[in-house]
Amino acid sequence: MKSLEVQNNQLFDKNSIPYLNKNEFRNSVLDLLAKGCRMISLTPVDKKEPQKIIAVLADSSSSTIHIIGGDFNGVNLEFESWANEFPQTNYFECELSENYGYFPLNHPWLRPVRKQNIILGNQPYHFFKLEGEEVHEVAVGPIHAGIIEPGHFRFQCHGEVVYNLEINLGYQHRGVENLFLQSNSDKRIILAESIAGDTTIGHAFAHCNAIESLYNTKLSLRAEIVRTIAAEIERIAMHLSGLGGISNDIGFALPASAYGRLRTLAINSLAAICGSRFGRGLFVYGGVRYDFNEEIINAVKNNLSIVQNDVSQITDYLFSSVGTLSRFEETGTVKKELAKDIGLVGLAARSSGLEEDARIQFPYSAYRYNPISMITLSTGDVFARARLRALEIEESLRFIFDQIENLPQGEIKSEINTLKTNAGVISIVEGWRGEIVHIAFTDEKGNLSNYKIKDPSFNNWYGLSLALRETGISDFPLCNKSFDLSYAGHDL
Amino acid sequence: MDDAIKIRILQGDPVIHDVKNVQLPSRYRGLPKIADKKCPDKCTKCIDVCPTNAIRLNPLSIDLGLCIFCPLCEEYCPEKIIHFTQDYRLVVDKKEKLLVTKDTKFISPDIASEKIRKYFGKSLKLRQISAGGCNGCELELNALSNVNFDMGRYGIEFVASPRHADGIVITGPITQNMAKATEICYEAVPNPKIIILFGACAISGGVFKSSEAIQRKFLEENKIDLYIPGCPPHPLTFINGLLDWLDKK
Repeated sequence: MKSLEVQNNQLFDKNSIPYLNKNEFRNSVLDLLAKGCRMISLTPVDKKEPQKIIAVLADSSSSTIHIIGGDFNGVNLEFESWANEFPQTNYFECELSENYGYFPLNHPWLRPVRKQNIILGNQPYHFFKLEGEEVHEVAVGPIHAGIIEPGHFRFQCHGEVVYNLEINLGYQHRGVENLFLQSNSDKRIILAESIAGDTTIGHAFAHCNAIESLYNTKLSLRAEIVRTIAAEIERIAMHLSGLGGISNDIGFALPASAYGRLRTLAINSLAAICGSRFGRGLFVYGGVRYDFNEEIINAVKNNLSIVQNDVSQITDYLFSSVGTLSRFEETGTVKKELAKDIGLVGLAARSSGLEEDARIQFPYSAYRYNPISMITLSTGDVFARARLRALEIEESLRFIFDQIENLPQGEIKSEINTLKTNAGVISIVEGWRGEIVHIAFTDEKGNLSNYKIKDPSFNNWYGLSLALRETGISDFPLCNKSFDLSYAGHDL
Repeated sequence: MDDAIKIRILQGDPVIHDVKNVQLPSRYRGLPKIADKKCPDKCTKCIDVCPTNAIRLNPLSIDLGLCIFCPLCEEYCPEKIIHFTQDYRLVVDKKEKLLVTKDTKFISPDIASEKIRKYFGKSLKLRQISAGGCNGCELELNALSNVNFDMGRYGIEFVASPRHADGIVITGPITQNMAKATEICYEAVPNPKIIILFGACAISGGVFKSSEAIQRKFLEENKIDLYIPGCPPHPLTFINGLLDWLDKK
């Protein structure tokens, strides 16, 4: 088995990737999947040369990333799908097929990822349909009832019970990956911040880590700690927002409004740090734009102390209600084995008992020196996903208070020079939803030749589909909010 | 029940009572001010770094429809001519008014027509359409209904159905895949109706302006009533803009 083994954010020579022929490529990927690796990307290295692709697989147990090249020059772009044995690869195959004309043979369910009205294997695509007596179909979206992003949902129901939910996305597609190749360095960070506005810091973090590796720049510890503090504030803010939304979806107004108030405090802390409630403008290549001073530290500490004091009481109140538990428990369950098979990541994976957290398994930035705890729950239902948010808020608060008390001195920005030529890097960051992957390659002139992004939502939307199986359709909003996935991040 | 009262007491009084005079954090970037100073000869630094080409020279101006309120021009200007203030009142009713020059002291929309104020002055229901919005603008619009901003107290609310709405609020650059749905949704709103563009992406395409995946024909074919600049705009920007436009105290 041939593969290039790298660590998170390790700069590697593009030419050191072993390219195998079609069959060897398939078998090598299969071997790694069988060893428990998770696919994190399937993409060409150079957009102009789509016949050469790489499969990137992450081995969480050894913190290693495997890169295997497949050379399709001179042969047709058909390959035997891995998805029948390893369902986690099925969506990556769909994406490769949609973007570059590859065709996975015997694929269990080839479907559109972002494009509307496409032809797959000479046939127009049709939604999966359930037939029989008393079955009916419910179509929702792209525009939904609340202020949320667009997406289309097809429910196949028998009475109130959902038998299949098909999620059809792509409405948000803005061509972000292409824009990365056309943009200069200042604009690239802003683009990264706009991939998913709720994960501004997560994506900026992954992007800066990737590009800084290509610059071969080392950051000061102070800059790294400021970054991780901001990332944890984002996690707290969005978990509070999630808990508020979940409370709202069971009609429990008091916790919904109380969590909303605390979220304001969390995002106002980000505004104190960098002027934007979402952390826009904080990240620059080589460090951060804004330093912490006593005034900022006090503002952040004051805000987060209120959050720390209030959130535990609100959470106790929410979870001690019988009404809450009856709605949360055993609703929208994804069992551990299923979660592993379909390759769930992040919050949703940990709620199903999988140990998946890039901050611990692929440590980067200040998480290398200041560890954070892995928190998992086992039930995989709405209860677990809500409860895990509450637990992660506590842990993130602990992390921030630890770090902010002991900020090391130092510059906040290191010098950068030019991008390494013919190089590549894989950057993994744990956003609040889960694993964010940014993959960057440069050409012989030092320009970006491909930029590939994977938002955790790409893995997890299918989890929501399966969570809905044999669940009442009226529980859909609650299940949806418990996953709280990004449309823009998926559609890019 | 006791617990509920405890939580209610914890809430305190979180409402921002005076939305017109809020001191935002010192690093917040609101209305840019252009100092009445001469640019150095042949200097184009601000233009070169602006990620959305929002800046023009002779005379120096910033188009708030394009501006994403990043600090780059302020950072690169050798003479400190451009400076972002904490003024969060940025809403205008005409595209031309989005242009900030050295003469701009503050900006505000003209008061809406008598008809609009008669119909919507006391109750304005809006349907939001996310058409490629990254969820930044969407989160800020959601925040308008929380206990801090509580926009409902002014009679302005978001509704689920376009049939119940008096207008639409668009976020995002309008992707090709959302162009049709945006049109259908707007058609479903009964007359008279308004269109509000929220955020740089909606107003100009923002950082996605040059992308082939967006389709902005809808905006050329319809009259826009309000422009809300920002990336994303602050909730207070939205509230104040609507209060000014509807001439509400």
